[in-house]
Amino acid sequence: MDQKIGRREFFKKSARIGFSTALGFGFASLSEGKVSLQGGENVDICVATGSDYLASTIKAVECLGGMKKFVPKDAKVAILPNSQSRHPGTFTKPEVVQAVIEMCKKAGAKEVNCLTLLKRENWEASGLAAAVDEAGATMKFVESEEANFKSVPVAGWKAIKEVMIMKEFYNNDVFIDMPITKDHAGNKFTGTQKNLMGLNFRANNRLFHRQDWQTNPESIQYLDQCIVDLNKVIKPTLCVVDATEFITTNGPFGPGELAKPQKVVAGMDRVVIDAYCTTLWGMRGEDIYMIKLGSEQGLGEIDLAKVKIKEIKA
Amino acid sequence: MKSWPFSLLTRIFYCLCFFLFIALGLLAVQDLLTKYLPKSGEAGIWKKEGKLQHFEGEALYEYIDGGAEIYHEYGFKQVVVQDYVTHTGKSVSVEIFEMTDSESAFGMYTIKTHKAGREVSLGADAQLADYYLNFWKGNILVTLTGFDETLETRDGLLVLAKGIDSKLDLKGKRPRIVSHLPEESSISQSVKYFKGILGLRNSHPFFALNIWGFEEGVKADYSGDYSVFLLRFKDCEQSFSQYEQLKKSYAEHSEYKVHRTSNIEIFTALDNRERRFFVSVHGASLFLVLGDIHPPQAFEIFQRIREAIGD
Repeated sequence: MDQKIGRREFFKKSARIGFSTALGFGFASLSEGKVSLQGGENVDICVATGSDYLASTIKAVECLGGMKKFVPKDAKVAILPNSQSRHPGTFTKPEVVQAVIEMCKKAGAKEVNCLTLLKRENWEASGLAAAVDEAGATMKFVESEEANFKSVPVAGWKAIKEVMIMKEFYNNDVFIDMPITKDHAGNKFTGTQKNLMGLNFRANNRLFHRQDWQTNPESIQYLDQCIVDLNKVIKPTLCVVDATEFITTNGPFGPGELAKPQKVVAGMDRVVIDAYCTTLWGMRGEDIYMIKLGSEQGLGEIDLAKVKIKEIKA
Repeated sequence: MKSWPFSLLTRIFYCLCFFLFIALGLLAVQDLLTKYLPKSGEAGIWKKEGKLQHFEGEALYEYIDGGAEIYHEYGFKQVVVQDYVTHTGKSVSVEIFEMTDSESAFGMYTIKTHKAGREVSLGADAQLADYYLNFWKGNILVTLTGFDETLETRDGLLVLAKGIDSKLDLKGKRPRIVSHLPEESSISQSVKYFKGILGLRNSHPFFALNIWGFEEGVKADYSGDYSVFLLRFKDCEQSFSQYEQLKKSYAEHSEYKVHRTSNIEIFTALDNRERRFFVSVHGASLFLVLGDIHPPQAFEIFQRIREAIGD
């Protein structure tokens, strides 16, 4: 029988095994992005490879110690998959989303809420709305009105002083960032960090793009820095990244050339995960300015030689 | 009964005319593109499904949230989107983009296509990839996307594309700068044409931080694992300034080692992955050769480009 523990007790236990509370949000995160497994092994990220994407997702999270390590009983869980376009390789696969929802529910989550600024049609077209419904989670469509967002100052900001996070986000205890890694015309790469723009008020996201971005190269750097600043405000409890089939050209909307590494990547350190994902299509973390900045500003480790990556077959 | 003052009636009349004019104008603009869409019955088993979508100017951000900038960099006017389906449940999305000119349409076409695709005989250039097809003609760029890689879907892409192509009575030519790149050993369909930083950065992340202000550029890949870039600036002053800036950036960057040559208009660099970079300035243009190539071969390429450009 599963042992029941309250949230307070969960956090006490978490502290004992190396958890730290992230940015006052009230959910648990693991110190320095590492996960301690039974037997004292430390793992930074787990990568599961296989053609059954639902099974790969489960394996990747189990390899980190299972969803119970991240989701306390009765927790409200927010998930943020990417459903930007319906073109193949541009949205988080429904199987990956379904697996995460089912694991959260099995871990004892009270609610799983799928947050989005997009319209229902986007989610229906990608098949994600049906997957979310079927797995028993709730779609939370947040209208792009200022009243639905909360101004949050960025501690240690370098480009943007405050961001505007959807209020709905703060109704949850745990946050799981679930991007698909893919090409992006602006940043060349999108993954865990850029995905958080999906929680930020559109008008605020627009401020990330300077008016002179077409003529001033510093404005491109500015966009990357704004994304890193946004990531200083929100630290995901867990990241589960779809790297199964994704576009490597004409991103983020597609259609584009598809890479099919058939991998699901799970972990807590956004920089490690993004740096790892760049290698799946012939780049390195250092090639992407946003990842470099994230590393320099303490969001995580960029040097894959310094981390423990556990690769498993699903 | 109190009669309406003449001036008020006149104002109402002018207002109605104004709104009618705008409405008719919008319909006419949209019609420019919808007339290219195959009607149900014109494309075999493929029939229109769902509402037509139309986005103009800045409204493109509503359609391509987070990815519209590059279209604007090339010069975007409007797009119509229409889905087609078969009775067997297959589906294809058709997007017809009107760009500002044929260079813009060609440029976006090169960004949206890749070397692995199969060339097909449609429009000015066309390419069929695993599940999508792109072609351009005049200032129009057409993208058809299927949602699987089956033969039926790929056949549908071709049938619908042919239907659109037959309605496009337009002509357009590739930008002249493309012809300045050497043809020998070039890899088919590897050409990318740039009109700004985003296109260039997408091709090589380092550049955007160090080169800007160019008016147009082109890149092609060559067998032997190297690429050649050619960027054209407004004048010699700008090209030389950018050349010096690039040399400084490479010298300051910890990952690169810069080697000067006896010719002040050429420098070379080596990155920590042993990739070679050769950079040259000539008139209002910058040339770059990157990859696995020896200096004499790179210098020969520079010479050939200089000859192609002329003075």
